[in-house]
Amino acid sequence: MNDIGEFTLLIALATAIYGCVAYIMAARGNRIDLYLSADKTPLIVWGCVMISSICLWRAFLTNDFSLQYVWAYSNIELDTFYKVASFWGGQKGSLLFWTLLLTTYTVVVHFQNRKKNLRVVPYAMAVLLTIIIFFLCLVNFSTNPFERIPLPPEDGRGLNPLLQNYWMVIHPPTLYLGYVGFTVPFAFAVAALISKNLDDGWIRLTRKWTLISWFFLCMGNLFGASWAYVELGWGGYWAWDPVENAAFMPLLIATAFLHSIMIQEKKDMMKVWNMSLVLLTFVMTIFGTFITRSGLIQSVHTFDEATLGYYFLAFLFVILFACTALIVSRLPLLKSKNQLDSFLSRESGFLFNNLLLLGIAFATFWGTIFPIISEAVRGIKITVGPPFYNQVNVPIGLALLALVGIGPVIAWRRATLSNLKKNFLKPLAAAFITAVALFPVIPLGSRVENYTYVAFILCAFVMTCILSEFYKGTASRMGLHEESMFGALATVTWRNKRRYGGYIVHIGVVLIFAGIAGSQAYGTHVEKHLKPGETFKIRGYDITYEKLVAVEATSVKTRVIAQLDVKRNGNHYWTARPEKEFYKGQNQPVSEVDVLSTWREDLYMILADFRDDESATIKVYVNPMVSWMWTGGWIIAFGTMISMWPDRLEQRRRLERFRREETLFPSPAQE
Amino acid sequence: MPLLKFIFSIFVAVWFFVGVSGTTYAGSLLQDLENALMCKCDDKCGKVLVNCTCSTSDKTRAKFSKMLDSGLTVDQIIKSQVDEYGETVLSAPTKFGFNLTAWVMPFIALVAGGVGVRKVIYSWVGKKEKTATQNDEPEEKTATSEKYSKRLQDELDGIEL
Repeated sequence: MNDIGEFTLLIALATAIYGCVAYIMAARGNRIDLYLSADKTPLIVWGCVMISSICLWRAFLTNDFSLQYVWAYSNIELDTFYKVASFWGGQKGSLLFWTLLLTTYTVVVHFQNRKKNLRVVPYAMAVLLTIIIFFLCLVNFSTNPFERIPLPPEDGRGLNPLLQNYWMVIHPPTLYLGYVGFTVPFAFAVAALISKNLDDGWIRLTRKWTLISWFFLCMGNLFGASWAYVELGWGGYWAWDPVENAAFMPLLIATAFLHSIMIQEKKDMMKVWNMSLVLLTFVMTIFGTFITRSGLIQSVHTFDEATLGYYFLAFLFVILFACTALIVSRLPLLKSKNQLDSFLSRESGFLFNNLLLLGIAFATFWGTIFPIISEAVRGIKITVGPPFYNQVNVPIGLALLALVGIGPVIAWRRATLSNLKKNFLKPLAAAFITAVALFPVIPLGSRVENYTYVAFILCAFVMTCILSEFYKGTASRMGLHEESMFGALATVTWRNKRRYGGYIVHIGVVLIFAGIAGSQAYGTHVEKHLKPGETFKIRGYDITYEKLVAVEATSVKTRVIAQLDVKRNGNHYWTARPEKEFYKGQNQPVSEVDVLSTWREDLYMILADFRDDESATIKVYVNPMVSWMWTGGWIIAFGTMISMWPDRLEQRRRLERFRREETLFPSPAQE
Repeated sequence: MPLLKFIFSIFVAVWFFVGVSGTTYAGSLLQDLENALMCKCDDKCGKVLVNCTCSTSDKTRAKFSKMLDSGLTVDQIIKSQVDEYGETVLSAPTKFGFNLTAWVMPFIALVAGGVGVRKVIYSWVGKKEKTATQNDEPEEKTATSEKYSKRLQDELDGIEL
């Protein structure tokens, strides 16, 4: 089976090369024979990569330690659940997994556009296949997961204990679905540039792809934060690690793109800008991969064998050079009317929103690469950690939060003073009431506390802006059609999915901002060394350490559990069981925290240490409003679903448009 | 619109004031140290001390507690760490010399971008006005069209496209 897996990867590479060349020749020479031949290659490439992946999964599930990769990331005792996830646990497998997702997306694009958009699709397929070729070259010749061990050992080394968490099955695939997904808008953008079809057709073709990729990347980031929160045991969820930054930057640029394409769709403006944003988003996904796999920047997330940096760097420069050259050569075709009625308009709001999103992306990029710059210039390696990002990004983020409220409410084309008064009076009043109400009750003084105060005021402002939009739509529908409030709200949302879906996403963003602000400013923690029966207090909780229990969970894992009784107002509130897990052959034990999460705050317990006399060191964090962040994440997911939901009216419009469009190759009936 | 400019200026002033005011963190001195320094464990975990859970970080925290108890200030402890490990032990670049560029560059880029966006918007608005002037209709027509334009504009202000 391993031979089959290895062989199919080579077939996939050869087929992808043929397909890429054939698509280009078909498009350039208008050759239908070549096009029909090339059209079979995406499916063949996907089939080969899928077979290869199944072979690797089989090796994991059957404990085939003759493969070096399986030996390094699995062992006999590993749960089946994690054996499946071990596929993407290391460098080699994760690259094969990336290739599998990319080929899957390519097949979907292929079927979606089989008989339409033929002026652009052959080039888009060629671009997708070029990127597949790059990854297949890596998988075949540099990081082959089917590399053998001459004398296979009886058992493997096992998966890193930190990765043995259910998030391991969810987080990396979600993140990869986002990363890889941005290849599709990139491919269509490049195809539009090459084929000179530079109207907003490519945007309509790829908007949903961008939205899906954005959604997965957003969820991937949140899942990663959630994983860090429950697994790493330091009470936080985001550490501004270079690899976390790498996933954050494309998300910001894609968000800017999703907003600015609205201007191109409505006003046929900003073509060069949108093209640059979509290309930059893809470049940032490759940059992120470069960071994770180069070993150039120190991070807890980088892979062990970080030797692929040069390949990704070269690929990155080729893409940057080719895309810049393409855009410059097509500048005359990308010219648009670029006219605005007024400085004070929603269009301007979008431009400033783009500026702030790119500002945060740049600050994050700058902080990520600054250690390399410092070493190159001064010869001194420095660290750029959370204090830098918090100090630089938080003020920009707050300005962005203000725009989240202003943007949807300000009028398109031209906002008048009466319009502004009408739309902003209530939100400003809500902000003022929040400011006055919070002033006496929340602590102020430190920078974090001051920022949090401003964040809460802005959250109230933005939330009122969004809710008033829902109210306006619902009220007018109720007046016109005599519907019930919920019926009118549902109809308004359903009939304007894109707009109201977007508003729902914004509500999620506000909750995330509030959650981050609250947890950063008002969290507290305490560390106590206790003997059984001893009690301590933290923020109104009385915590009694009861006992220590050792359990042998499996032959490779022993769990030591501390049992604590938590009382609130003298009544039993919760029994916490934080634990430490000891894995055979691993030096460091792994902490498994226990968290009681409420809308108000999380009570987060860690068993930091214990001794033979049953005394234990317990760390307790009280993290306010963390659950707001996770709730915000689910609301974003819900809003994105609504926004993406197929719109029959839009589909009909599109269908009519495709019918009118000329195609590169006539259909057999036309012939 | 002077009122809008006034509101915007207040917003910027508050934004700036909040940024430069107060101490960075509200926690204890030990927490200040944990936020300011990286963990220097053998695994080179690359984590800020406050985020690190390894055994070295626990020992370091205990050491810092003792140093604080002995009367050393946060700055003195940080300096001793920099002397021992070099600048890499700091969790953020210092705010002088070459490292200042790390802090200043994002804001320079943002301000430059802001000026650029403002210029671009004004040039686009100017273009529109120029086109409108070139397409001027005879006077009697303009009066009627102005009436309807105003009505259309008022209605457009009230609805979403």
